[in-house]
Amino acid sequence: MQLKMFVLSGAAVVFWLAPLTALDKKVGWHKSIQGISLCIATACAVTAGNIARRLSEQAEIEAIKTRAITADVVDEIATSAYISQQQRQQEAEAILNPVEHLERALALTCDEGEDSERSLNEQSDQLAKTYTERSENDKAERALQLKAKGWGKAKIILEVWGVSKGGSPKYKAAEAEYKRLVEE
Amino acid sequence: MRAAYLANYFITGCAASSLLGWIASLHPMSARAIAFLAAATFILWGLCWLLDFSVSGWLKISVQNLQALLLAVLAMVLIGAGVFLCS
Repeated sequence: MQLKMFVLSGAAVVFWLAPLTALDKKVGWHKSIQGISLCIATACAVTAGNIARRLSEQAEIEAIKTRAITADVVDEIATSAYISQQQRQQEAEAILNPVEHLERALALTCDEGEDSERSLNEQSDQLAKTYTERSENDKAERALQLKAKGWGKAKIILEVWGVSKGGSPKYKAAEAEYKRLVEE
Repeated sequence: MRAAYLANYFITGCAASSLLGWIASLHPMSARAIAFLAAATFILWGLCWLLDFSVSGWLKISVQNLQALLLAVLAMVLIGAGVFLCS
């Protein structure tokens, strides 16, 4: 297509200039050839211009497509990075669970006596229960917020529980918890 | 590619101007007709310069683009007619 355009452009210039400079206007058939060649030059230039315009529009569309694909890829990378960051954060929170810390501290200091051990165990259980309730409340609140935003179930479970969709026991447990919390 | 299509349309204008000159050289009546056409075009061209803001709004192009178009038209006519007259 490009070759055709360049050939037509060259032909237009040649048909425009060559007969005018090479032929004599006073000779009848020379003048006729000049007129014909000028008509041909105009037609060639119009055709070449139309082809070039079409190619230019196609190039613009291709550029838009390339930009859209690049934006999609960047968005996908950003989303996956965000999800992996959330998963790492949840794992770190699970590791740094305050209940476990307390239990560890209690285990270190529980040598003092049976009574104190019992009372500390009760305190620990109470704290664990409170923490679980708070965590559940937080999860329920977050899940409801996301649901109100129009998020789907699988996406909410991935966001709040950090479990991707599938038939794994973790996902089933998270799904059951989601149903329980949201339906409450 | 945009430059290529603008250049091709410019060559079209030049060749068309030469063709009009050639038509004008065929007969005195055709010369008068072409002279009338040239005069009308020149008046229209001058009006476009004077009413550039209105014309650009009507054509939905910027004023700079309209001025560039008018200059290109002038250049096409001058080059086309000049090539025909000087050959």
